[in-house]
Amino acid sequence: MTLLQLVINGAALGAAYALVALGFVLILNATNAVNFAQGDLVVAGGFVAVALAGFLPVPGILLLPLVLILTFVLGLAFSLLAYFPLRDRPPVAVFISTIALGIVFQNGFNAGFGPDPRATPPLFAGGFWQLDGLTIEKQGAAIVVTAAVLIVAQHLVFTRTQFGRRLRATAQDRDMARALGVRVTWMIALTFGWAAALAGTAGLLLSNKFFVTPTDGTAYMILAYIAVTIGGWGRIAGAVAGAVLIAVFEVVVSAYLSYTVAIAALYGAVLLVLFFRPQGLFGDVIQRRA
Amino acid sequence: MSSSLKRLFSAISTRIIAAFLCCAAFAVPPADAADANIPVLVPITGFLSLEGTSQRNGAVLALENPPAEISVTYDVADTSTAPEVAVNALERALADGDATAVAASMFGPQMLAMIPLADRHGVPLVTVSGTAKITELGSPWVFRFFPGDTVAKVAQVDYAVNELGITKPAMIYQTTAYGQSGAAHIGENLRRLGIAPVLEEGLDVKVKDMTPVLAKARAAGADALLLQLHSGPTALLVRAAAAGNLGLPIVAGSAMHQPSTAALLDPGELDGVCAESASSPISGGTPEMDAWLERYRAAFGTEPDAFALGQYDGTMMVLSAIAAGARSPAEVRDYLAGNSHDGLAMTYRSDGSGNMAHSAIIVCYDGETRIPRVVKVFDNVTGALD
Repeated sequence: MTLLQLVINGAALGAAYALVALGFVLILNATNAVNFAQGDLVVAGGFVAVALAGFLPVPGILLLPLVLILTFVLGLAFSLLAYFPLRDRPPVAVFISTIALGIVFQNGFNAGFGPDPRATPPLFAGGFWQLDGLTIEKQGAAIVVTAAVLIVAQHLVFTRTQFGRRLRATAQDRDMARALGVRVTWMIALTFGWAAALAGTAGLLLSNKFFVTPTDGTAYMILAYIAVTIGGWGRIAGAVAGAVLIAVFEVVVSAYLSYTVAIAALYGAVLLVLFFRPQGLFGDVIQRRA
Repeated sequence: MSSSLKRLFSAISTRIIAAFLCCAAFAVPPADAADANIPVLVPITGFLSLEGTSQRNGAVLALENPPAEISVTYDVADTSTAPEVAVNALERALADGDATAVAASMFGPQMLAMIPLADRHGVPLVTVSGTAKITELGSPWVFRFFPGDTVAKVAQVDYAVNELGITKPAMIYQTTAYGQSGAAHIGENLRRLGIAPVLEEGLDVKVKDMTPVLAKARAAGADALLLQLHSGPTALLVRAAAAGNLGLPIVAGSAMHQPSTAALLDPGELDGVCAESASSPISGGTPEMDAWLERYRAAFGTEPDAFALGQYDGTMMVLSAIAAGARSPAEVRDYLAGNSHDGLAMTYRSDGSGNMAHSAIIVCYDGETRIPRVVKVFDNVTGALD
């Protein structure tokens, strides 16, 4: 198997991880809080898609807008339950509340959908293309394209619209944004909603290829955390790059050495990054709020 | 005596007799009435919730349908996957001192934590846990109604080598206790048959992309894959092998026989895939099994697997013990330790250490349906039934 083939395989995984990491870093920037339930919101997206597919037997691409909307609403509700009541408390209170709500989600999924692994419909179709000895899975390609479209769309919204500027202003300095007339509370709620929608989309994308079970969220959360640590805590682009990097790293090292080595090397790399470049590979400085 | 007076006497007599019989009924229990309390303490949440739910269903189906002369009460408690949760659940269940036996967690670390408590209280634990160590601690109170790796891996390896003729297998296993225990026994059985794997690869349960390990198996010249993976990873690997046209036979661990695993795959992806298991209830085969299958489907709206059937058989053996006159936990233990039981999956008998299951089967999928066919039965692998 060539290196290029491995990179292609890792790209689909990395693209979906990037959506998770993106939501993770968005909430961190907007609230200075780490959302430890971001992985459970991925699972929520998967199960929302499973539920929708139960009565709407259509390709995944047609379920995508519905998953986006429903997980966006879920994100808003999440902020009301896990963030706003505790926002004036020490940050650890929010960390714990997100963990607690994540566990509530896990058990809720278990009660609602059962413990069996479930799969969502493919975005367009299953199967693969053969190209000069390379195998490109259609679902994998669709994942990369969908994630890329969402990431670019988010970039454009953040940099080219008034709404995006307000969001960034809220993320950079909440008090100053409020003084300038930005409805900070609303912006934070929208950030939670958007982060949940990104995670939910990742859930839809991953659940066809890799299935979904109620307890998958923890693994996604850890990967998102690693991606953001490697990419840089304050950087959206860094989170995307970090996610793609760890997915490709995992696949390539697994193929040439072993999975055990890949996992150990990944965590070892995180330690090295923390020692020598705590702001992440692509970060400038760690943002601190006044 | 006038007829009206006769009617009055008759009415009074009838009431007195009825009242006497009624009081007698409350005051003196029937000599042979048997009441049993069998708590069900199994993992319904956490990463073992799929298997644990099957275990719970099997126990509940038995407890809801006891022999006619037995009255059973039970509560179901979720042990999740933490040993301390299981211990607390067992403490609560045994606090009243009226538990006859316990349907206990299939999760090995929880069982290891529960055993000292069962020893202290003197209550039998009936489980489908595969962890070898639980019956190696010398406790007389543990009874395992599921073939451990010492049985199941003999079937898996013998089928692969003797029936499929493989000589260069790649062994792919999970890095959990379940995976490593299975891998050790697969390796042992391969060595027994003079074969060395060309690849041994341990996978974390979080691994999603299986193409690298398949590429390595191909590069190593493997002629078959022997798997010891949990449900989701098994489905991921089988799907990746089909997508990549690997073209190698796959003989998987028992996770593959679970209907929920097969449901994740197209029948075509399952073509030629085989698995070891204690039983395959959905494959049917006997009128009793078919009837049980229908009852299970009606009760739970889902398909049963070997864990459900193993726990059902184990719980039914406990109920048989009570029906046969065992009243105390110690009498139930003695019955379980000294008698055999013709269950739906197999005949059970203790090997002296509480290992009750000594048979395994191999099932294979034909590429047309998700219902596997039983292709080989390995009976009495340990010789305990002789």
